[in-house]
Amino acid sequence: MTDDSGISKELIAQLIAGQIDDDNATRLQRLPRKDKDRFFKYIEVLQQRAPWPEQILLRLGDKLFVVRNARNERVVKCECGTEFGDYRQNWKLACRIRTRRTLPEMLEVYDPEPACPEPGWQEIREFFCPDCATQHAVEVVAPGYPIVFEMLPDLDKFYRDYLDRPLPDEAPTWYADHTEVVTRTWATRVH
Amino acid sequence: MAVANDLSQVLASVQATPTGPTLRALFAERDRLTRDTGHYYGVTELTLRDADPIKYERFYNKLHAAVLAARESARFVAASPGSREMGECLWGITTPEGDTLAVSLGFLSHTAIFPVAVRYMANNDYDVNDGIEDGDVYAVSDGKTGGVPHPGDFYSFVPICVEGEIVGWAVGINHLMENGAPVAGSWATFSVDTFMDGLVCPPMRTGRKLKQESWWKAIWERRTRASTMNILDDKMRLAGCAMIHHATHQLIDEFGVQYYKRAIREVIEESRRMIVDNMRALMVPGLYNGCAFRLVKYAGLQNVWSHANKNTLIHIRASVEPNENGLLLDTEGSSRWGYHSYNATPGGVDCAVFLGMINSFAHNTKVTAGIELAVQRHYAYGSIYNPDYEFTSNANLWAQTVSVNSIGFNAVSRAAFARGYLEEAFTVDGNWGAFQGAGTTADGSSYGFTNFEWLGGTGRGAWCFKDGEPLVWAAWSQIATIGDAEEFESCVPPLFYLGRKLLPGYFGYGKYRGGPGNSAVHWCVQPGKHIALTRPNGGLSCTASVGLGMSGAYPGPGSFMISARGTNLPELIAEGETPRDARELLKQIDAGRLTVKNLEIWKTDCPELALKDHDLFVDAAGSSGGWGDPLDRDPALVIKDLDDGMAPQYEFVSRMHGVVAVQDASGIWQLDAAATTAKRAGLRRQRLAESMPAEAWWHAERTKVLSKDMFPEVHEMYAQSLSFAKFDGEFRRFWQVPTNFAFERE
Repeated sequence: MTDDSGISKELIAQLIAGQIDDDNATRLQRLPRKDKDRFFKYIEVLQQRAPWPEQILLRLGDKLFVVRNARNERVVKCECGTEFGDYRQNWKLACRIRTRRTLPEMLEVYDPEPACPEPGWQEIREFFCPDCATQHAVEVVAPGYPIVFEMLPDLDKFYRDYLDRPLPDEAPTWYADHTEVVTRTWATRVH
Repeated sequence: MAVANDLSQVLASVQATPTGPTLRALFAERDRLTRDTGHYYGVTELTLRDADPIKYERFYNKLHAAVLAARESARFVAASPGSREMGECLWGITTPEGDTLAVSLGFLSHTAIFPVAVRYMANNDYDVNDGIEDGDVYAVSDGKTGGVPHPGDFYSFVPICVEGEIVGWAVGINHLMENGAPVAGSWATFSVDTFMDGLVCPPMRTGRKLKQESWWKAIWERRTRASTMNILDDKMRLAGCAMIHHATHQLIDEFGVQYYKRAIREVIEESRRMIVDNMRALMVPGLYNGCAFRLVKYAGLQNVWSHANKNTLIHIRASVEPNENGLLLDTEGSSRWGYHSYNATPGGVDCAVFLGMINSFAHNTKVTAGIELAVQRHYAYGSIYNPDYEFTSNANLWAQTVSVNSIGFNAVSRAAFARGYLEEAFTVDGNWGAFQGAGTTADGSSYGFTNFEWLGGTGRGAWCFKDGEPLVWAAWSQIATIGDAEEFESCVPPLFYLGRKLLPGYFGYGKYRGGPGNSAVHWCVQPGKHIALTRPNGGLSCTASVGLGMSGAYPGPGSFMISARGTNLPELIAEGETPRDARELLKQIDAGRLTVKNLEIWKTDCPELALKDHDLFVDAAGSSGGWGDPLDRDPALVIKDLDDGMAPQYEFVSRMHGVVAVQDASGIWQLDAAATTAKRAGLRRQRLAESMPAEAWWHAERTKVLSKDMFPEVHEMYAQSLSFAKFDGEFRRFWQVPTNFAFERE
């Protein structure tokens, strides 16, 4: 670590890799004010690690990003390169889903047995990348529960008002939940 | 800091009857100026701070020192372990309107209720009709009128008056050992309405001149089951308030009342600005959603109150959306209130919501009411967080409102992760446990009790860069401690610990695992005439603590308990092999070593369990969730957990993490790296083979939704949540159901 106002990219890389030592992690936690330039250093480190060239706009999960792709679209992208579609649509709807409904199925992921959620009241949904099979999300919810859109970022506001670096394609229409575009399309198809 | 050291000194500070502006007028002015200007009380410039910052900070530090000193001295008046040893108490100083200026260590978010109680007094003209005098003592434990999270938490308010005007309140709080409900303890789990919640006090004057009235002692003695401890706790709260009262008068003498009146408003406005600034520095604007569930299994247990004799699946739904003035937390879509003990009031749910908000955004500023101005809340009227029935039970709302906190707190974690502040990104769970009850010894002495241990310290959820830690987490207090076993044994004469330890494997799995939860084995010895207990619990294991795992990990499992009545324990004691936790207990039963005539595993609330000699009560609570895909876990960490005993079943973790290892002759696990790589590849293929595309899944699930193929309680949950427009819209948009589709209410 250099100083409170200049956290090095090496340290950020250690954080990302889970290799930071406890002393440095504690020092970062105790910063009275966060280092303002962290985000762009973070993106730089992430970009260097990514196996593809698309510009990372935001990191959503360990292996999940909002990127600007070659068609100048803002899409969700897996670390393996698979695109999940427009970031305004819940990316979980581009996943493969495994649902655990019975006690034997739940016992494979909760231990000991009394700690298992109750079948019928709850089900466990696992959301996988359709290509690399990374488990990007888990929901433990009631049957019939709408898949949860965990985070819809307002990227334009973030870049303009929080980071003082507006995105070149900013527009008021970007901040809207378009998940229904997907479900409405599905509803028109016979399955 | 100078403190009052004798009664005459304290009494000398008591001032004359107030004649200044009414509380109602103060509130009207506060609300108008704050609303019109967007700044607390219209304070647009921090004139005192800017003119002389040293004087301003000296002023504040004296206020802060007063409340810190109050806790560190007064808690030794208490007899209850929760208050004396643990974090189950707090002192604060507020403005005349109840807006917090400073708080001690302890359960910090209770600041949220202060203005609720004072506003109730203002709206009901306590100061006009009865008069509020310097050094009066008010008791508060009602959710609706006092904002109290649950009546087991008891508050003492002491007005501070100068020159005929209320200028502040000293407030002391603690969680009682027992609060006199039909279900003994401090969270009356099976209450149906407020009349079963125990000693519930709307704001009421119980003392004058820093001294309680004689009748008040009789209330504790006759209306609760732990009067000795409760009376001493009452004295503790008042002792701390007296110290704050005295110190504030001294402060005003030193700085002048005009300085004081201006400074207390600047302090709140200053912290409001800092909190808004912190939100901007840490959050990503947008919309964050979360959910959780809590099962109430009353069917078959409430035959006397037939309207409550039903099961309820409580739906906890919340969103967080940062904005120019801070952020909005909205719980619309959560269940409606019900005839059970888990209903909240706006003040009560505030108390949960502010846990994460204070921890996340007030870490580098003064902890004041500034947080309440920065966090806008929407609790839909008629919901479990803002009931349209005035007599709901609020006895155990903490068992589900902590999930609202977890949802809000996890939104902050998601934002910190997205911004690169990974050192702040971790999984938040609110799983906690406790047990409570009453007994009568052989000589006829009766007692009531609460054992707070698994409320005092739980596992912290995984960080995004390392495993969560055991025992260090108590979202409701800075002081995570499970207390001394001996203290709790002394409070509950027939119960002794056979074991008290971390429960291996009891956490949410992920690339990084959550901190493990805890388990204890309580052994009943010579119960005298009677002992029986129940267990409240935040998140019982029929549902996970929160609905969403973080970044592909599993949420932490809920808590559970086991009653083993009619055992052969003396035989095991003779052999020196008694169980130390829930897992060992079940293993010994399976092996036929421990025999049990009546074995019950409780994944939801247990009714009162009466215990006899050698009966066992075993619990597990305080687990936490993981972070990241379990197949990405460093195999070396899996091996370490196997060697440490934290992973008790090789087959389970081998399948969970795709790790292959063998135990060598000395019992040490050795990784087979090549086999691990192959197993992980195989598990990824298995994931794809056992899953289906989201569209196919959606069609299959939609068919069930349309046919309402679900448990009646799940059906009723949707009926309630869809009665609120926000969730109704989300549900309809997601499932594309016909406009006339509806879940019928019961």
